[in-house]
Amino acid sequence: MPDSSSKVGRVIALVLAVLAVAGLFSYLLIENMPKGSLRTVPGYAAWSEETLQLAETLPIQDGGRVKPLSTYAGFAMLGMHGARSMKIADDKGAKIKLTPTAWMLDALVRPMLAIEQPTFRIDNSKVLEAIGVEPRGRRDRYSYKDLEAGREKLGELAQTYAPIDAKERDPVQTQIVDLETNVRSYESLLGYFAFARNGITLVGSGKEGQPDSRANVSAVMMMAPEIQKQLQQSQHGGGMNPNLRGLLDQVLEVANYSRAGLPILPPFGGEKGSWRNAGAAIMQVMSGEDANAAETIADIEVMESFARHNPGEEAAFRTDLATLRERIITRAEAAGESKHVELEASYFRRNWFLNAMVFFLVGTITALAMWTAGRHSLGQWFSWTTLGFTLAGLACCVAAITTRCIIMERPPVGNLYDTIIFIASSVVAFALIVEWLVRRRFALGIAPVLGLLLIILARRYEVGDAKDHLDPLVAVLDSNFWLTIHVITITLGYSAGLLSAFLSTGYVFLRGFGLIGGDQNLRRSLTRAVYGMLCLTLFLSLVGTVLGGIWANYSWGRFWGWDPKENGALLIVLWTLAILHARLGGYLREWGLHLASVFTAVVVTFSWWHVNFLGVGLHNYGFTSGKGAIWAFYAAMLGVLGFGVFAMVLSRRSKPGRMPS
Amino acid sequence: MPRPTNSDLPQPPKGPLRTAFDFLSGFGLATILLLILGLLTWFATLEQIDHGLYPTLRKYFDWREWYVLPDFSWLDWWPKIGGNPLTFPLPGGYWTCALLLVNMTLGGVIRIRKGWKSVGNLIAHFGIIFMLVAGGVAHHYSERGNMAVGEGAESNVAEDYFEYVVEVAEIVDGKPDKVLVIRGDRIEGLTDGASRVFRFPDLPFDVEVAGYLENCVPVSVNERAPAGERVVDDFYLMEKPGEKNAEANTAGCYARVLERDGSKGDPFILAGASFHPFTLKHGDRVFTVDMRKRLWAMPFTVRLDEFDARFHPGTMKPAKFISHITRIEDGHEAPVVIQMNEPMRYEGLTFFQASYGPPGAMPGQKMYSVFEIVRNPADKWPEYSLYIVSFGMLVTFLTKLGGFVVTSTRKRSNHA
Repeated sequence: MPDSSSKVGRVIALVLAVLAVAGLFSYLLIENMPKGSLRTVPGYAAWSEETLQLAETLPIQDGGRVKPLSTYAGFAMLGMHGARSMKIADDKGAKIKLTPTAWMLDALVRPMLAIEQPTFRIDNSKVLEAIGVEPRGRRDRYSYKDLEAGREKLGELAQTYAPIDAKERDPVQTQIVDLETNVRSYESLLGYFAFARNGITLVGSGKEGQPDSRANVSAVMMMAPEIQKQLQQSQHGGGMNPNLRGLLDQVLEVANYSRAGLPILPPFGGEKGSWRNAGAAIMQVMSGEDANAAETIADIEVMESFARHNPGEEAAFRTDLATLRERIITRAEAAGESKHVELEASYFRRNWFLNAMVFFLVGTITALAMWTAGRHSLGQWFSWTTLGFTLAGLACCVAAITTRCIIMERPPVGNLYDTIIFIASSVVAFALIVEWLVRRRFALGIAPVLGLLLIILARRYEVGDAKDHLDPLVAVLDSNFWLTIHVITITLGYSAGLLSAFLSTGYVFLRGFGLIGGDQNLRRSLTRAVYGMLCLTLFLSLVGTVLGGIWANYSWGRFWGWDPKENGALLIVLWTLAILHARLGGYLREWGLHLASVFTAVVVTFSWWHVNFLGVGLHNYGFTSGKGAIWAFYAAMLGVLGFGVFAMVLSRRSKPGRMPS
Repeated sequence: MPRPTNSDLPQPPKGPLRTAFDFLSGFGLATILLLILGLLTWFATLEQIDHGLYPTLRKYFDWREWYVLPDFSWLDWWPKIGGNPLTFPLPGGYWTCALLLVNMTLGGVIRIRKGWKSVGNLIAHFGIIFMLVAGGVAHHYSERGNMAVGEGAESNVAEDYFEYVVEVAEIVDGKPDKVLVIRGDRIEGLTDGASRVFRFPDLPFDVEVAGYLENCVPVSVNERAPAGERVVDDFYLMEKPGEKNAEANTAGCYARVLERDGSKGDPFILAGASFHPFTLKHGDRVFTVDMRKRLWAMPFTVRLDEFDARFHPGTMKPAKFISHITRIEDGHEAPVVIQMNEPMRYEGLTFFQASYGPPGAMPGQKMYSVFEIVRNPADKWPEYSLYIVSFGMLVTFLTKLGGFVVTSTRKRSNHA
């Protein structure tokens, strides 16, 4: 039976925990809610699900691999909008939720509607003031139309700030440079099918005051051999038909709008290589460099057809889109390049990590209830619920990671984002194993909390980075063997280190708030669990570090290069070795072991995250922002450490005449 | 009445040797050394940002450094004394590792309790000792350099990354005949007025070297007035701070010829930054004296047949760098492919794909490939030590885990 102080402490802890969860939940809600009021886009009609599903799996080559349009759109939207969905209202005030594919289709084929959508997230109103646009609030989302008035000024300022080293720029300068990049990317989407929508003006064709008639770009492309012939003649002193010259100039001009991004046209004849965008394809046909000009012209004809449909003609649009998709997929499959497109589209549609986050959040709440209810039958019920939700969250993570491995055709960890989701899964799995061994409902409660925090970190990192982390790796990392054994081992070492630190954090709070009462068994179990996790951390970190050294020796001829990432891993090894030797030598008892273990989180964070900010070494990711969060984490863990020391001193003073255990 | 245990009985006083042994083999020393090594690693990691890797390693882990004073200038708020950030001494990394090796040998191998429970730890300690020894052997006996070869060209020499040497050669028929080399470790200490005479029995003169500078450029006095430097032929060596990337340092020194009759020639400047060697006439014979990075001869010749740089489609992200070479030895030719993660190991040398050029080469343009060449007698030792350590730790971990599971299960069944 717990004593009264334990009960009071438990209530205090519950209140604090509920406040923490509520704070976290509010933060998530605020971060994921669209900023500003709902924007009405006049004349907007939502795409049908059928069209969107078709468009989602349109293959596109980007970042060195073939991916579905939905992935490309998702990261483009994340970079500009700061989220993977957008809410707008139609004329009747009905809310419409835009997926990345819908948003991209609008930009590509309905630009007049797209420019009304609140595409650009601006976190600092000073950016708008600088470009002469009236801000609506400190943070809001703006449409292209909203920014149009300041477009020129934005370009000028970005040109001024871009040459400044990223580390030297102030936040407003950085945001101006980023906004200009985003606006330019968006403009390339808006103008991508301009050639198809507008065609070419046949100058002088209008009779008796009628406007000049227009022709398709594809029609002019068919005349490419004749235009080249005339062009060659003109270079040798002969004249060139001015009408043909005019056509050529116009074609080249419109093709220029489609030369940035969106390479959707694969090579012919099963050949692997760089895909072309519409602009490059047009240019190559016009310059006579395309060996498959007839096929390319057929591609352009389909694009012209589907880009000209009016909003009311969605069925016809879909038919043309399907034709284009079929042409692309046939060629991509011949080169063996689009085998995972469907799977990848479904991976992003399923949103595994959002589901995992929800499960972990509910698991966190039930864990709090479990701890509050104690060892009664209600507590037992909550423990099973917690286990269920935690396992469900873990299953989502495992499913997501497995799918990513199939898509990437490589082991699960190859970049920083991969490490976060892998650590989230492995920390939860380790915690459940500890729980299975210890059966004190302590590690069980910690598991969903850590899972939740790490998935939130992954989502924040993904939004901030706005890069596709499924893209292929650079040459030096192209070794599935070493990626499997070195990177996974070292990442598991991080997981074990973090878990031991958080188990010890729990110990510090339990004892600091007097929640542990006289339960010696719980204390001993926790201590043994932490000791075991530290041993595991040492084993994984040491083996992982040496494996990294062997890989480096194999690839570069040196076992140890004093790269900050290598040093970080060595620090974990040295720290855990020091703890274990101090423990064996009797210098660290129960309190000492837990306090040292809490500090392990700082060492792991330095190795896992901080070294990436240092700007040197082979593992330098060139980060310039986000360091504040690391210092905040250090401060929090040192705060726990300080609280622990205080609690330890108090607990020793309260037991006069007894040797501290 | 409880029986007295050994610890309750009066212990005979320990002799000084036993005390020293206990101290050197103790957990306390191990813990302190591990923490010091951790601190050194942490400081060296942060310091290499501002000072570069090579100088930082020299400061923290060179055997000549008994102690180090960490630099806290990267911390704005750190207290300063006389404008310099406050610091404190730490033992040098090399000697900390050496002491740790002693501690591990005495404590982790000799003093450790021998029994089934500690067999894993014993094996792991053996493995770590072997790893530290491997590190020491590599530190003292390995050589590193690079070889750049153009497509269709051949090479049989590697250039050291850091070591500057003085080369003296007689020119016969317009070509250097026999090249005599003064190694870097013989001249690097010749700073602050120190000089050394190098005697060459094969030459009609000796060479005196002085005023070695690790990173400098020869500057004309007309271009910039010297600030107390020694001027030779209207030139002097202007010292520069060490480059962050130490490979970019260009060493320099002053030299003069000493005749056999005891007379001394005029001093001249030798500089790594110079494009041409110093030429001197001795009677009818012509000699060159040059300062350059050390070249070492390979036991075979390498011809680059083709270099292939592949990028992920539509990007400049490298996918593969492949050098198709022919290894030529005693007239025998062997085709070999060297690429990232697939080096060529042959006759104690390892060739790694390091770099290539020219950057942004157009299709059809001839490429060159750069190989990093390493000779390391302890090349595979870390790998072997890993097997030993892993096995030892696995045994320990499984033993502990087994014990933990058995105890937990027994306790639960007792509770039930």
